Amino acid sequence: MAQDLVGFSSDYQFWMQKLSLWDQASTLETQQDTCLHLPRFQEFLRQLYEVLKEMDSNTIIERFPTIGQLLAKTCWNPFILAFDESQKILMWCLCCLINKEPQNSEESKLNSWTRGLLSHILSGFRFDRKEVGLFTQGLGYVPADYCPGLLKNMVLSLVSELRENHLNGFNTQRRMVPEKIRFLSRVCIPLVTLPDIEPLVEALLTCHGHEPQEVLWPEFFDAVNEAFLLKKISLPTSAVVCLWLRHLPSLEKATLHLFEKLISSERNFLRRIECFLKDSLLPEAACHPAIFRIVDEMFRYALLETDGAPEVLVAVQGFTRCFVEALEKKNKQLKFTFKTYFPYASPSLVMVLLQRPEDIPQELWHQPLKRISEMLREIVEDQTHGSYGGPFECWFLFIHFGGWADIAAEQLVMSEAEPSEALLWLLAFSCSPHDGSPQRAQTMVEVKAVLSRLKKLLRSPILSAKDLQAAAAESQDRDPRPPLCQQLIRRLLLNFLLWAPGGHVNAREVIALMAPSDEIAHDMTGFLDQTLYRWDHLRMEAPRSRKLARELLAELRMVGTAMQGPGSPRPRDVMRRPFLHGMSAENEP
Amino acid sequence: MESLLQHLERFSELLAVSRTTHVSTWDPTTVRRALQWARYLRHVHRRFGRHVRIRTALERRLRSQWRQKGASGSAAVPGLNFQALGRCDLLLSLRLLENRALGDAACHYLLQQLFPGPGVPDADEETLQGSLARLARRRSAVHMLLFNGYGENSVLEESVLKTQAELLLERLGEVPKAEAEGRSRFLSTLWDRLPQKNFLKVIAAALLLPPSSPRPQGEELELDTPKTPGEGGQELVRWLLARSDVMAAFCHDLPVGLLASVAGRHPEFSRAYLGLLTDWGRHLHYDLQKGTWVGAEPQHVSWEELYGRFQSLCQAPPPLKDEVLTALESCKAQDGDFQVPGLSIWTDLFLALGSGS
Repeated sequence: MAQDLVGFSSDYQFWMQKLSLWDQASTLETQQDTCLHLPRFQEFLRQLYEVLKEMDSNTIIERFPTIGQLLAKTCWNPFILAFDESQKILMWCLCCLINKEPQNSEESKLNSWTRGLLSHILSGFRFDRKEVGLFTQGLGYVPADYCPGLLKNMVLSLVSELRENHLNGFNTQRRMVPEKIRFLSRVCIPLVTLPDIEPLVEALLTCHGHEPQEVLWPEFFDAVNEAFLLKKISLPTSAVVCLWLRHLPSLEKATLHLFEKLISSERNFLRRIECFLKDSLLPEAACHPAIFRIVDEMFRYALLETDGAPEVLVAVQGFTRCFVEALEKKNKQLKFTFKTYFPYASPSLVMVLLQRPEDIPQELWHQPLKRISEMLREIVEDQTHGSYGGPFECWFLFIHFGGWADIAAEQLVMSEAEPSEALLWLLAFSCSPHDGSPQRAQTMVEVKAVLSRLKKLLRSPILSAKDLQAAAAESQDRDPRPPLCQQLIRRLLLNFLLWAPGGHVNAREVIALMAPSDEIAHDMTGFLDQTLYRWDHLRMEAPRSRKLARELLAELRMVGTAMQGPGSPRPRDVMRRPFLHGMSAENEP
Repeated sequence: MESLLQHLERFSELLAVSRTTHVSTWDPTTVRRALQWARYLRHVHRRFGRHVRIRTALERRLRSQWRQKGASGSAAVPGLNFQALGRCDLLLSLRLLENRALGDAACHYLLQQLFPGPGVPDADEETLQGSLARLARRRSAVHMLLFNGYGENSVLEESVLKTQAELLLERLGEVPKAEAEGRSRFLSTLWDRLPQKNFLKVIAAALLLPPSSPRPQGEELELDTPKTPGEGGQELVRWLLARSDVMAAFCHDLPVGLLASVAGRHPEFSRAYLGLLTDWGRHLHYDLQKGTWVGAEPQHVSWEELYGRFQSLCQAPPPLKDEVLTALESCKAQDGDFQVPGLSIWTDLFLALGSGS
């Protein structure tokens, strides 16, 4: 406690100096400096209150003889009073100075002075022209009566002036000078969470001036963005898009904020992910190519940094889906071709990837799949790396539309015919893009073998877990499967389970058999969740498969809670793509 | 119902007393009771504010108290109106806080009630502490916007005028209509007591306020709007036209463009204004030496000014523009329908406007 007080004393001195410097915050520099320190000062006020409330009035004066000055200077700085809860905390502090039973004239004077200050904060208001004050008094009104209405009218006035400024660029008489616009943006910084000011904030964001440079204060953008992310202000999407277009750091913060939500340690099911995505307004904002490119870049970076973590993959896929949805809604005014969003990709590939499976009859799904596979293969195997980037770029583009890989897996499992080379290649590529041709060919062979064993099982009336295990077994005379290949096989197994017509399979048995580690259980849960989600989107009925999928999910959850204590971190080593970071063109070898 | 109305009366008295030195006799218990009453009335406002019958009864009782106060000889400063009930605890608290006569013990108690500290969940905006904080915040906002002016603040002056206009119309609406001449008398009293130049500007602003949405029918009412929004403007015009001295000052002092806007919105005013202008015009005669129209006396309006006013009226959209031209034409005809300048001021004006427009 003593140590705290020492630290507190030096804080006290620091803020005392600052307040003296700022005075009434009437110059540009003092306003700017005040705005930069607002949150920290509020924290200090909170601490001050905690200290003061334990003492009585006389002790306070003894301990902090200059407290009166400090509080008075705070009162006279309208930027501080306007910020968040500072005015409330300040009033709490002042109340601590009130003496219930003053014993002498000193104490009485202090009481009187404190009350005066409190009155001033709440209703000390004087129009600069006497007649106006006389008018309001003459009608029997006090500031508490007309302040809200006055503020509303002022905001309306300013908003209409800004909008006219925006429209009548050449009418220099009605133009709001840039200094005034900048000043308004400064004033809004502490007021950003006050609902009355929202229209002004919106107007500042959406009404562009006619200056070539940015007129608004950067801290203004920061403050608005913070308030938006914490849901303390409600703005129309157009205003938020303007914010992000005008101030790149805000866009980056918003994207990181989204990442934190999506890629938290807690399992997030796809429905919730979609909610977060839509809430963040980023997919809708991304209809503007500049925003899309930046967000996409951040996703790419996240993928590289996390070596292709499944959560990031899911996030990219979800984001793309919401983005395409938003784009289609705006399709009437489609201003940008897809090339602007994916400038480094082959346009025909993008067009095929963008097709919605729900728009194509199920029996024809193999056609786009084949095309996708062929196009990707062509690009990847082109030694010269052409103009469409290397394997990583292709893969990154592909996983935006990762649903196709899932459909490919399903198709392979469900169809009676020989597994097509194209689909095999696609699957192998999507799970392991860094493989060279030989490894990929090896994977394809393995998968083909497993598939043919599974197909044989189709004929038996009852499926037992042992059978499955046998089908999936690695052959003894080859190298052990790399973990990503193992993951692929596991998913194929699950697919098979879900679609195999014959017999009922015991979910518990299956899960026990696959003996999932934490990691594997996590992977399987994600896979099942994605599958159910996809079936919803494609409106696939499949009641029996759904039921089984849900049973498996339930079983996995039980296994998960049994194995894992709450909050223990999941091991992440196995599922990574360890060589991924070597694939980006930007990274050093 | 009757107990509610009595409660209301007692609270109004309490509110009036809260500004006087009488509060020096108040102890913490009195303060607590006063705050409780206020809280109760605020609750009533919120709960029954949309209920037409209850609201009407409450408003009627409030107005009758007002009239009583005026009748007793003291200046009729209006007390509580219905909207104010929604913040009556705030108003009471502020009055007590500002009143130096309030004893230290009572004040200490008051502050404890007003600012209980962080423990109280403030998510509910309805708490007194929250309202006070919000008031302080809004006040700083107004201060920052108003007093850090960038050069001339004409846009913000507009909003100050608009706010005054809204307050005026609110008070005007509270004067009971049934009372004959009540509203006229009210306006005349204001004219006598308040700074007149500002008052004229406020009247103009009030006459130019956007027409409010029609009153919703039936039981449902908005809590915060006065009951008869559209009529205030009519009352003002009627009073203005009845008082020739005010009308003359209004037309003399206010900017020409502003008057044209008012004339565009209010046909009775435009007719009276035109009448005034024709009167002014008749005072001018043609001075052959100077070659222009001059007034007989110095206070008469000059040719330039008269022309300027007509010009601004003609820049207004029809029907005002057409009305003005028709009036001029008829004056011109009455005067002899001359086509040559120098014989009738109306001809000259007509010619000047014709070439100018």
